[in-house]
Amino acid sequence: MKALFRFLYEIIGAPQPPADTPVYRDVVFPNIGLLNIGISLALVVIFYYVINRAMGVATFNKGRHWAIFLVINGLIAFGLAISQAHAQQVTDHSYIYWLATWNAILGLFWFFILSLILRKGSTNASTTPF
Amino acid sequence: MRHLPSFSRLLPALGLALALLPGCYSRSDMKSEEGAVEVPQDGTPTEAPGAVPARTPEGTPTPAAGPNAQPLQAVNVFLEVSGSMEGFMPKTGVGGENTKFQQHVAQFLSEVNRSTAARQKTFYRIKERPYKDSYPAISGTVRNGIQQPAKSTDIPSVLDTLMTNYYRPGTVSVLISDFIYSPKNAGAIPYIKTDIADALARSGQKSDLAVSVYGYTSDFRGTYYPALKAAGKKTNCCDTEIPYYIWVVGPASAVRQFDAALLEQQPAKQVHFGVTYPQPVYSALNKFQNKGSWYYGDAGASKRTADTYRVISVAEASAQQPVEFVVGLDLSGLPGQYRDVAYLKQNLKLQGVDTDAKLLDVFAATSQTKASSGPESRFTHFAKVGLTRQPKAARPLVLRLQDQRPAWVAQWTTKNDATPAPKTFALSSLLDGLEQQEGEKRPIFELPMTLQPAE
Repeated sequence: MKALFRFLYEIIGAPQPPADTPVYRDVVFPNIGLLNIGISLALVVIFYYVINRAMGVATFNKGRHWAIFLVINGLIAFGLAISQAHAQQVTDHSYIYWLATWNAILGLFWFFILSLILRKGSTNASTTPF
Repeated sequence: MRHLPSFSRLLPALGLALALLPGCYSRSDMKSEEGAVEVPQDGTPTEAPGAVPARTPEGTPTPAAGPNAQPLQAVNVFLEVSGSMEGFMPKTGVGGENTKFQQHVAQFLSEVNRSTAARQKTFYRIKERPYKDSYPAISGTVRNGIQQPAKSTDIPSVLDTLMTNYYRPGTVSVLISDFIYSPKNAGAIPYIKTDIADALARSGQKSDLAVSVYGYTSDFRGTYYPALKAAGKKTNCCDTEIPYYIWVVGPASAVRQFDAALLEQQPAKQVHFGVTYPQPVYSALNKFQNKGSWYYGDAGASKRTADTYRVISVAEASAQQPVEFVVGLDLSGLPGQYRDVAYLKQNLKLQGVDTDAKLLDVFAATSQTKASSGPESRFTHFAKVGLTRQPKAARPLVLRLQDQRPAWVAQWTTKNDATPAPKTFALSSLLDGLEQQEGEKRPIFELPMTLQPAE
């Protein structure tokens, strides 16, 4: 599991400063990776199953509504990476923001993938985004 | 049916989300897990109360652990009262002035007597053989002068007596003397070393025998008897200070405990033979004067306690971008001689395999490092290591402190003590006799580490 997240997050390069490498690899990467997937999944479930199925809302199933959730997911992923890094008392470095940006991109990716998989179960939004 | 809000369909997804969230790692709960597993390891025998607790890092056996590795129990103090000692302990003058020897030794005896480091303390005056004395009596001798000086005491026979009758596990013999050894004739001078070694071994070779020698100087008012009798004694000596010594003889662990409890407080010249010390606590420090691209390579590095990092993973190293890291050492369990930065600079050696790693600097803790919130606050000394080549594979790197005769011994040694000086006749030969004969000298400590390329 750690190796997977390490691979995912080191696509953008090794953690900086080097002294903090073990903290990122052992703690920050798995944390933000798991939380990122979990939050993406939660937002997908809310959009497709809570709003567009259980609540039966009929006016929130367009592509732009989906995009709102996508953006929210990206912002959460960005903030999450920064807060998790700071929670581990890593040294301040611009790398934290690169990591956060990358985490946001990954968040968008997870959200997209999960949307494709789970949209079929929704009643009102089974064809959103397309 | 499809339009009914069937939460049962959502449950697997929600359940998955819930299952993922608490799966997250955090440094703090890893620490507590580790703490729960950790069984308090106190394998070393309980130190006598009052003794400076020697911190033994877990997993490293105390090198002193042998059949005789008992806590300090008894102390025998021997004060030489031969004629040559009279000058250190003159009868109190009109002005009530005393010598440094009287001041120091009286205080030392009192400290031994009050010490909680050992239960049993016995005091002896050494004449031709040791005479048991009480603390008040021996303290009085030091303060008021020797009443009936012995003719002469012979160091080898004193040592022989100590080894035969007083060498026991958990017991140290403390010998206070000027250690002026005058062989019977000049032809015996080259054999001083052998005489001492024989005296120590006469009652059977003791594998864990240790001797600590502490040297002091004092003003001297009286008759000075040089070792070379031909030179004749000097009355009304001296303008210069004369050295005297405290020798601590006993099993290694008892000597170490006695030294730490009673002799380390005051500044003194010192040299140690055969005393073994527990391995100091040490760790690489990743955020203290670190340079270049390296990090802790220990498994589970982020959840370890701060003083156990031994693996250095080097991501990149070149002449332009050298790697520098600092190893923190807690040398508080060692005697002052080995904590001396000048000594460490000379004798702390770094040995690596297949690497250009060099020891760049050795320095002591400052008020700044002590006040730091980082792990560097725990250490008393720091060794800075630099390298410019990335290791090709995991290779050992060892910090080793060599046991070297300190420079003062040579400075305090004289071949001719006819003129009183702060030197002792054939001191280095005497100490040569204490040296373990067989094999190479053991290092004071060896701290293994690992250099490896970053994964």
